[in-house]
Amino acid sequence: MKRRRLLAGPYLFWSVSFIIIPLFLIVWYGLTSADGGFTLQNIAKITTPENLKALGLSLLLAFLCTVICLLLAYPLAMILSQSSLSQSSFIVLIFILPMWMNFLLRTLAWQTLLEKNGVINQVLALLHLPAIDIINTPYAIVLGMVYDFLPFMVLPIYNVLVKLDQDMVNAARDLGANSVQTFLKIILPQSVPGIISGITMVFVPAMTTFVISDLLGGGKVLLIGNVIEQTFKQGNNWNLGSGLSLVLMVFVIASMGIVNKYDKDETGGAF
Amino acid sequence: MKQALRRLYLGLIFVLMYAPIVTLIVLSFNKSKTRAKWGGFTMQWYRNLLENEQIMNAFYTTLIIALLSAIAATVIGTMACVAIQVMGRRSRRALMAIANIPMVNPEIVTAVSLMLVFIALRIGLGFRTILLSHITFNIPYVILSVMPKLRQTSRSTYEAALDLGASPLRAFFQVVFPDIVPGVLSGFLLSFTMSLDDFVITHFTKGPGIDTLSTKIYTEVRKGIKPEIYALSTLLFVTVLLLLILVNYSPEKKESHVKKTITRATRIRYMALRRVLPAFMALVVIAGGIYYGSQSSLTGGDSVIVYNWGEYMDPAVLELFEEETGIQVIYEEFETNEIMYPKIKTGAIAYDVVCPSDYMIQRMIEENLLAKIDFDKIPNIQNIGSTYLEKSTEFDPGNQYSVPYCWGTLGILYNKTKVDEPIDSWSVLWDERYADSILMQDSVRDAFAVALCSLGYSLNSTDLDELTAARDLLIQQKPLVQAYVVDQVRDKMIGNEAALGVIYSGEAIFTQRENPNLEYVIPKEGSNIWIDSWVIPKNAQHKENAEKFINFLCRPDIALMNFDYITYSTPNTAAQELIEDENIRSSTIAFPTDEMLENCTAYRFLGDEMDSVYNEFWNQVKSN
Repeated sequence: MKRRRLLAGPYLFWSVSFIIIPLFLIVWYGLTSADGGFTLQNIAKITTPENLKALGLSLLLAFLCTVICLLLAYPLAMILSQSSLSQSSFIVLIFILPMWMNFLLRTLAWQTLLEKNGVINQVLALLHLPAIDIINTPYAIVLGMVYDFLPFMVLPIYNVLVKLDQDMVNAARDLGANSVQTFLKIILPQSVPGIISGITMVFVPAMTTFVISDLLGGGKVLLIGNVIEQTFKQGNNWNLGSGLSLVLMVFVIASMGIVNKYDKDETGGAF
Repeated sequence: MKQALRRLYLGLIFVLMYAPIVTLIVLSFNKSKTRAKWGGFTMQWYRNLLENEQIMNAFYTTLIIALLSAIAATVIGTMACVAIQVMGRRSRRALMAIANIPMVNPEIVTAVSLMLVFIALRIGLGFRTILLSHITFNIPYVILSVMPKLRQTSRSTYEAALDLGASPLRAFFQVVFPDIVPGVLSGFLLSFTMSLDDFVITHFTKGPGIDTLSTKIYTEVRKGIKPEIYALSTLLFVTVLLLLILVNYSPEKKESHVKKTITRATRIRYMALRRVLPAFMALVVIAGGIYYGSQSSLTGGDSVIVYNWGEYMDPAVLELFEEETGIQVIYEEFETNEIMYPKIKTGAIAYDVVCPSDYMIQRMIEENLLAKIDFDKIPNIQNIGSTYLEKSTEFDPGNQYSVPYCWGTLGILYNKTKVDEPIDSWSVLWDERYADSILMQDSVRDAFAVALCSLGYSLNSTDLDELTAARDLLIQQKPLVQAYVVDQVRDKMIGNEAALGVIYSGEAIFTQRENPNLEYVIPKEGSNIWIDSWVIPKNAQHKENAEKFINFLCRPDIALMNFDYITYSTPNTAAQELIEDENIRSSTIAFPTDEMLENCTAYRFLGDEMDSVYNEFWNQVKSN
């Protein structure tokens, strides 16, 4: 057992050199002013109305995106895990392959699709249907987020469901549980680790994104990611940018803490 | 019934995932260079692609980095998972939290701090540093994929294996590993994919002369994505798709119930398709990478390191320069002044010649980052019009540090079919008749310049009352604005999405070519004139070559080549006279008269404190 811990060695070394040290740099920048003195001002800047609003909106949109992804992904993962298709390749086909087209290009393509005179509206007009007008609104941002992050929800849940012990499901059925009960008592609890991984991989990038809100929100919707990006890139103010990043980090870690509370499965998976 | 519902659901998700992909594939056959217009079918971009060594080079670098970093991350990450599994609750939590950090941090923070660490450790920026950074941000994806799988494995089978005399290593690989393979594989695939896509971190950790596909794509954003990139994405996509179909085409499956009767021939065919072909393709990729890698490797010798805006120079100019002088050009591109600045400021790479904009040049002069140019070595400076040198003194007093390269104005582009009055004032941007049909620039200084000018104030104002008034004016305008965008003003105006757009004059010439209904005007209240100029950083290693390079660019025939390529106005009056197309030569968009420029001012660097005020006010506008 002791020896097995050593396997984490390379990872630890890696984390310390390329994650922890950079992290300290951010903390250092965040807690100092431009002339090098200690200050809490950069962190306090989060309380200005516009920054609070951006933070709140980011939380809301990231939450919405995570919920929608979960609702879409779970049935999908179940269907895929039960079907007799050559699933792994199918999964790759649906989810991984599109990601090999550059992220920026795909998001730009959504712009082409959603615009007022875009592809979707032209098709709708041909069919004499009313046009949809969601470009440059938060709805378009959520759509873009769901599109970009859905694979990160499906893959971990699918991975867990495939490994699910069918004997347990059958036993529950034999003991008279209906399909809803089987799902709630057997399948769902066992898939929690996958769901947690999925939520992490969707919520975190959704919370910090700025490219999607820029391209699909028309720059009219300010998320916390945009504020930070702008502080670094347009304002060139690394101290303030780092301070705000620290706040964002605390929020993300806190949210993850809440999620992990439901991850009671500490004893499971003995290996 | 249930089956049908499932099919329908899968179908819908499929459409969602593939709608943008199909769009991109269609765009790769689009004759028009803008994504907003269908100009007819063409295969031209595919032909151009294969001849474009830069893109192919970047493509191979991308693949190799993705492959290597995914392999390394998978090994390190999986090992870490195995170890984390036996740890106590607390250390497990701590390690998982560390794994999340790179995902939580804003990318630019990770990127800049990694760059600082590499510089501190004296690891020269280049291929190695990109690889190290990619491994860093890939590991969390592996851990998050493998961990859930590992926790599902059963301890009893592992212990049974141990009881039966297997060594722990053997027990792991024979009993546990097969169970977690799907997790490991999806971790690997995710890593590979994330690495393909990354831009910000790659940009900060790469050295000169090395590019990945992403850094190429992002630097192109300012001038519009090249259709060749669409073509390359399509090729990549189709190749992987074919590969996937081949790998999964297993004759065995259909005949599984008659397995014994499989003939030798089928088995060979099966082997050929499933193993040999993919291996062969992998080999081709690696060999190609090594080939292109060796082509681009720095041969030492005499060179000059150039750092320029994306898509801001005709590649043929570089070849000509190399041919004539024998000096090798190492060429690197940036996306914005603010991305370029930290790389110069930290001295991460000793660039020889850089092309920032006016206010950034002023800042770099004030911070003592630039070297004085020896104008005796640049006789071709005489070709640069005196107007532009004079305007340059606003940011480079005495014309000692910079040589103008491109310039332009900020103005209004309007669609004649959607506007029936003559446009000559910024005030039209506050006209309610054009609600939801106005495009504003999504950049602090440009947006405030519009508001300040229309109020009659200077666009370099530092007066808080004036700025407050400008902010309120912008807030008042916000409900009328369709979108705040930068480069997409161009595509959206071509696609008839809006009636009015704030845009730079250089883009106006291009948009008019694509959509003749568009007209550009510099409003009478005055506007911004911007100049991008060549400067030489203090730490340049090849100052003489840099001066030769600048002198070369000032030659009229070369300046003309660049003008044809970029379409931004050239300050080179000798080149202007060489322009063949009469309409362009006398175009007041490309070359406004001195009168029209009278009210135009260049941006000045206003100091860090004023910069934060501008930014704060802009945030208030955007979040309102």
